[in-house]
Amino acid sequence: MSQQFKMRFSLVLSLLLSCTIQAQLKPIQSEQLLPKDAVTVFSINNISLLQKISMDDLVNYEFMSEVHQELFDGSTSGKTLKDAGLDFDQRLNLFYGRTNTHELTGFTFGIADKKALFEVFDDFQQLQSPLEGLEVYGTFFNHLLIKDREALLIRIEPTMEHIDAVTDSIWYARGNEMPFDFFEDSPQEEQILNEQTYEDNPNANVFPEATENPAIKNYYELRDSVQVILQQAELARVINEIFVEGINLHSSDARFAAQLTHNAEGAFYLDNARNLDKSQGLWYFQTVLPTLYKDLQELYAGNVILGDLFLRDNKVDFEVEAQYGPALGSIYAEMNDARFDQNVLAYIPASSPAYFTYNINLQQAYEQAYKVLLPLLSDEKNAQIAMNVLTLELLNEFINKDALFDTYKGSMFGTFNGIKKVKTKKIEYRYDENFVYEEFETETETDMPIFTLGFSTARADIPELVLKHMARLSSRIQHFGNYWRIDNAILDAAPLYILNTGKLLIFTNDEDLARLHPKGYGKEALSKKQRKVACQSGFMYGSIDIPKTLDRFPTEVLTPRNAEIVSSLKGKSGQLELTSSETNMEHTTFKLSYSFTGTESTGKHLLDLVNSLYLIYTLNP
Amino acid sequence: MKYLLFILTIAILSSCIEISDDLTLNNDGSGTLRYKINLSASKVKVNSILALDSLDGKPVPSKTEISAKINEFVRLLDAQVGISNVLVEENYTDFIFKFSCDFSSVRNLQDGIKLSIAQLSNDKYTAPAEQFWLSWDGNTLVRSIPAYITQQIKNYKLEDEELLKTGIYTSIARFERPVASFENKLGTLSKNQLAVMVRTNTFELKANQHLLDNTIVLTPR
Repeated sequence: MSQQFKMRFSLVLSLLLSCTIQAQLKPIQSEQLLPKDAVTVFSINNISLLQKISMDDLVNYEFMSEVHQELFDGSTSGKTLKDAGLDFDQRLNLFYGRTNTHELTGFTFGIADKKALFEVFDDFQQLQSPLEGLEVYGTFFNHLLIKDREALLIRIEPTMEHIDAVTDSIWYARGNEMPFDFFEDSPQEEQILNEQTYEDNPNANVFPEATENPAIKNYYELRDSVQVILQQAELARVINEIFVEGINLHSSDARFAAQLTHNAEGAFYLDNARNLDKSQGLWYFQTVLPTLYKDLQELYAGNVILGDLFLRDNKVDFEVEAQYGPALGSIYAEMNDARFDQNVLAYIPASSPAYFTYNINLQQAYEQAYKVLLPLLSDEKNAQIAMNVLTLELLNEFINKDALFDTYKGSMFGTFNGIKKVKTKKIEYRYDENFVYEEFETETETDMPIFTLGFSTARADIPELVLKHMARLSSRIQHFGNYWRIDNAILDAAPLYILNTGKLLIFTNDEDLARLHPKGYGKEALSKKQRKVACQSGFMYGSIDIPKTLDRFPTEVLTPRNAEIVSSLKGKSGQLELTSSETNMEHTTFKLSYSFTGTESTGKHLLDLVNSLYLIYTLNP
Repeated sequence: MKYLLFILTIAILSSCIEISDDLTLNNDGSGTLRYKINLSASKVKVNSILALDSLDGKPVPSKTEISAKINEFVRLLDAQVGISNVLVEENYTDFIFKFSCDFSSVRNLQDGIKLSIAQLSNDKYTAPAEQFWLSWDGNTLVRSIPAYITQQIKNYKLEDEELLKTGIYTSIARFERPVASFENKLGTLSKNQLAVMVRTNTFELKANQHLLDNTIVLTPR
């Protein structure tokens, strides 16, 4: 960024901030600098744990990615958090928030040594503060606001939709025409996806040209200006809200304030109701079906996820409570009112690197959801929804729900049993002495991840009926006494085995399970201790051996976002275990335990877990 | 072109791939090129990739899209000067792709392919086709592997090179009269002395993209 732009930016910001109300500042503390629009917060209480974490390690975490550009410039090299002048008697609060128009990211912390702090934050330039007692520093991306010994580092980005809306409004109000001439040719979809096509095609790169008058901005210059002004305006609003009006997340949400009183190393907060409210994916509901959207909001009212992070011997425990309102709570309560089917445990080998059990009462959940959701849908005056409601009501009357929900009751289990060699066919070419080739079909072995998925059923006769008739239609489906085999069902190459035990219907690509263990793994199944934990774990239990599972997971097959989550966990030692306990009308509790081995500091493991959770909750809200 | 190269990309991503080019050259400089990509040993992996929406952040085309692009390439190539009988066999069960065309001169063949690629796409892969990979003076054939093939192999990630060791590239040149000599030490002469075959694994080819280059001299007419 040019120096000239930085100066202009600073000047504009200073002028704007000067226009805000001059007021006497109220005394505030570290966590009280969190903007009230923060939707996700990780608050690390005992940050002395992190003293030995190097700044280089810290800025490499994804949760720092939004704010780390200036930090990761060499000024952090070889320094630890302690060297950075942070006050370890105060909380480090990482936050992510989204309003209808902006995204906010950053963290708040206490300052022990301001001089040391600015050796790390050495790109920040002091800007004129609009308020007495508040120091404002800025770079192109971030702002650092310091009041007494507390600091808020914040990055504000207007959403693309908001920038476009404001820019378009100004652009057309000035009498300009449609700026996107280059879309007149209606490029094909593939050309849009392949940016290289645009780069290499000079005719396609017809951006609006600079105007003859340098004082008049073209569309893209205007758009850049709008972005800067929107950032500044939002920053001014946030400053005023926190430092003048004293409104912050801690003061505006009692649930968050209460969570911070817990004697835990860290706290987690996710307001799912506001997440829904700000979700861009629901624009259709917001604009076309406002009444239904309002009903949905009411349904999700009070849905907040609160968690505590406890650091125990070689273990990080993440205890979570999902709170919800009465309507949503009634559905969850009915759904989780189910008896655990112990039959599934016989089909999980003790050696399985990853497995889960899931135990819900689908019929009760359906009945309750029908009772709660149908009136909401019925009130909507929309032809399509009316037809859907009619269809739903007719199906509800005509379908034999007992047979349906007895076939699939809702309890299921899944295992990942590692990677095995499976036999497939390949074509081989053999050349004779004159290099004329012949084709031969031969057997080959290929690596295949082995999965098993099974669910409880009280109507084993129904899937048996389906399979029997399917087998008459296709020679690929064959019956072998204890199991069915569907040839080439997995990726057109490997067989799928179906075991119908009478109480369980199991799908697997593990030939050993189908042939050798149709009645379960016996002594090779989960140990008594493991079975007991799974049985007592409410509606859900999961266990993942990180090195054996995630390190072997091919991230290239995932979407970039999900690949980022898996990659963040790769290379870690230890075990992840998810258990759930109580579920009632008000809340459900979960516990995620991360047990680890090795010599890495506990603080590093804590950050690893925080990072994974950050990715899960921010990338897949 | 990206769809054609996608076949090559997934081929190279797959653990076992067999690529072969088979050039038959008549005394008058006309001939036939046959090109074959065999992914049957990797069909599980190829199927799993094709089942994805994207790979490494790039969209994965469907079988229909790949087929449409291949057929468009065939149509374009068939219309080029000096090219005829362009045929493609697509086997999406075993993932074997066979391509063949007749040409009236090696210059026509190279120009035809270059122009077809250029017409099919404006992307960066057009550039390597500028190079000539075949020359024939009536007695001597100088050949190499086209750069748009070797470039794909070269782009393969360093950490996955072990996979390349299982891949095979075969290059065959056939003639109407016996071969007098050839330079490539990896080469083998057929029993009837009318063909030379050079084979290597794709790992070696990545390390040295000129490994299969050959200069073949025929006996005088």
